[in-house]
Amino acid sequence: MSGPHGVVLGVGGYAPRFRLPAAAVEDALGAFHARGVESVAVPDADEDSLTMAAAAAERALAAAGTTVEAVEALFLAATTLPYEEEAAPARLASMLGVSETARTAQFGGSTAAGGEALNAALDADGVALVVAADAPRGATDEAVGQAAGAGAGALVVAPEAADADRVGEVTELASFTAAYPGTRFRERGSEETTGLGVTAYDRQAYRETVAGAVDALGGPGEPDAAALQAPDGDLPFRAGRAIGVNADAVSAGTVAADVGDAGAASVFLGLASALDDGSEETLLVPYGSGGVAHAFRIRADCRVPVRQTVGGDRTLGFAGAQRRRGAFDSGVPAGGGAYVSVPSYRRTLPQRHRLVAGRCEACGSLAFPPEGACAHCSARDGYEHVALSGTGTVEAVTTISQGGAPPEFVPQQARAGEYASAIVAFQGPDGGAASVPVQVVLADGDAPKIGDEVVAVKRVLYDQEGVRRYGVKVVPVDARRP
Amino acid sequence: MRDAYVIGAGQTAFGAFPDESYRSLFATAVDRALEGADGLEPRTVDEAVVGTLGVGGRQIGLSGPAVTEYAGLSVPTTRVENACAASGYAIRNAVQAVKSGMADVVLAGGFEVMSDVSADAAKYWLGVSGETEWERLTGTTFAGTYAQMASAYLDEYDATVDDLSRVAVKNHANGAQNPRAHLGFECSLEEASGGSVVADPLTLYHCCPTSDGAAAVLVASEDVAESYDAARIAGVGAASDRVGVFERDTYTSIPASAAAAEAAYEMSGLGPDDVDVAEVHDCFAIAELLAYEDLGFCERGEAPALLRAGDTDLDGALPVNVSGGLKSKGHPIGATGAGQVVELYKQLTGRAGDRQLADADVGLAHNVGGSGGAAVVTLLEAEP
Repeated sequence: MSGPHGVVLGVGGYAPRFRLPAAAVEDALGAFHARGVESVAVPDADEDSLTMAAAAAERALAAAGTTVEAVEALFLAATTLPYEEEAAPARLASMLGVSETARTAQFGGSTAAGGEALNAALDADGVALVVAADAPRGATDEAVGQAAGAGAGALVVAPEAADADRVGEVTELASFTAAYPGTRFRERGSEETTGLGVTAYDRQAYRETVAGAVDALGGPGEPDAAALQAPDGDLPFRAGRAIGVNADAVSAGTVAADVGDAGAASVFLGLASALDDGSEETLLVPYGSGGVAHAFRIRADCRVPVRQTVGGDRTLGFAGAQRRRGAFDSGVPAGGGAYVSVPSYRRTLPQRHRLVAGRCEACGSLAFPPEGACAHCSARDGYEHVALSGTGTVEAVTTISQGGAPPEFVPQQARAGEYASAIVAFQGPDGGAASVPVQVVLADGDAPKIGDEVVAVKRVLYDQEGVRRYGVKVVPVDARRP
Repeated sequence: MRDAYVIGAGQTAFGAFPDESYRSLFATAVDRALEGADGLEPRTVDEAVVGTLGVGGRQIGLSGPAVTEYAGLSVPTTRVENACAASGYAIRNAVQAVKSGMADVVLAGGFEVMSDVSADAAKYWLGVSGETEWERLTGTTFAGTYAQMASAYLDEYDATVDDLSRVAVKNHANGAQNPRAHLGFECSLEEASGGSVVADPLTLYHCCPTSDGAAAVLVASEDVAESYDAARIAGVGAASDRVGVFERDTYTSIPASAAAAEAAYEMSGLGPDDVDVAEVHDCFAIAELLAYEDLGFCERGEAPALLRAGDTDLDGALPVNVSGGLKSKGHPIGATGAGQVVELYKQLTGRAGDRQLADADVGLAHNVGGSGGAAVVTLLEAEP
């Protein structure tokens, strides 16, 4: 199939800041089996596929200059969501503020899910947000587990664009399916992806399926970059040779050497990297074991806007990475007492996810949360809902030492150590500020000082009764990655 | 309205007592209060008001009758829950009952058992009086909330971590003379400032312990009081505020404390200058500094100077927490407010033993619930 299928208005990318170097794994275990991987991204204790999806989606919207209100469809692709059953796009939509009447869909089943989500977006009538996020896991002594990284990529897609100078055009798309059982799979109920490790068979499955999709596309053309599925840092180059794309183009379209296997997000992160470097013709080929591949050709006469936070800036040792992944976390202690029920948590999602405060109808001051009598004038005249800005100033702060956390937060401390807790004054849209208690995500253990500026991020708060709670935390501005 | 008097008061030791139950502890406190009132007969008591939080989940419903019936007081009993200010409020209710004429003798007290649950389970319960939906979900218990207030105080005023430690050094020195104190040992400034950090800037020495214990106070009308060693309840004031610190206009004051003090001073006709001895709510060291200012003992920001000058030492112009305070004497949540009044009653009636103050005529008790969602201030005056 050829011809214009839609346009890409903007691309976002996100990967956790922590890196586990291949050398650290080799030192610890005596061997490192993931070819072409120099380091893998390790999620923080309070990050998962959904929080990374939100981070990438926010960046894609910002890059595209699209307001969240304009999003008419939200498509989420992932193989490692926190729940095997439960509509994940609903949580993502709430975190982002996507309209309740937007069309949503969830794609999984293999790492080709991102391609399927993109196909759905290109078929949609209006502005669609496509997000792929993953944090695969595997046995620590197997190649799949050692390659396992993390990340998320997002695209804002529309049928057409008013400003053709800033978009990428999807000129062709194609798919190819070939049954190859046993190359890479995860059994029901398991956290770990594995495979039989029949190397020649695995490579053939990947090569044949990717090449089949590219053939169906009408050949590789002469891309500046080829974002090929990267289960490790070596397979994309093997596939490149098979389909006739040079190593430079493959290299320009993969970040696997740095972040490892990002699952369904792999090719979107590759695309973000390629477009950010100015690629005018990009081949995008998500592949999923089993197997299926989808191929897209994206042409841009000029730069497609990209916003990404992918590069790592903190290195973990082997034990440190295992700790963050939860190897030494024995869960929430038994107890009783303080408790926030799921329905009462759900009632506050606009506040937890989007910092929705209220302007008192009587005195005009800002209230957070916007309910009950106004703390300023005691009136109960109601509130006009207003979203606080995502930046604020620390008013009071403490660092909670290990052992000092409420039980719900014990697993987080077991994985990531101390955290800070602060009262932050967030600015309102038309002046004024509201004070909000928030946790501070620490990269090194240095809490911000009173008066320091912080930025809101979405993270996991805690799990209770099997239900994960997400909410706003903050990162000190001076500790942010560029 | 007629006056109300304390005619007897007693408490158990505060500490960890695996062989005692919440009922046996309360009964001991009742016995000591009755003994203090020259063996007043239990049947003379008209009603009882009991404060407890219910840490551990023991008998959360009907916890009042559960202890008064055990202690042999078959009287109408009301349980008061205002977190750590529960029994301070119980005493206020007793004063209201006596002043109104509905009762002539009311037993007001409280109890808590906190040492018989795991450290992990205790944290579930220590958090229950914080603002649960928002504050707690940032990962704070009370140490964290008071630490945030301390951060704001140290940022705003000329105060240091050593000033927090001076509170601990003073109160431990006082508690070392109190045989019923939970942590009856002395500590040095270096130990206090160098202690392991619980929630920056608060170290372990800046935090009170979790204790078992009970306390009981007999509040009676003037007619009854004439026959006993009595201290007049000159005034009692109480106030509420937002439960979450983030919901308040200030983090360097506990507005409910200031409002409760103002009401108590107004009712009594007394002022901060008249106070000879005070038991203040020092659950965390910063809380004692805030109390000095909220209670009018000094101007805003001057609490560290007052402390450094020794004014609140045992031999100072205004001794504070001569019992050791929550810091050293201990903090069995529901018993703490009544325990403060037990100490004042002893001081004002000359029964304080080794730590008896020479000229104590007016005593002030200051009891705070949570991080300031409730506060109650009681002023006692010695009978001439």
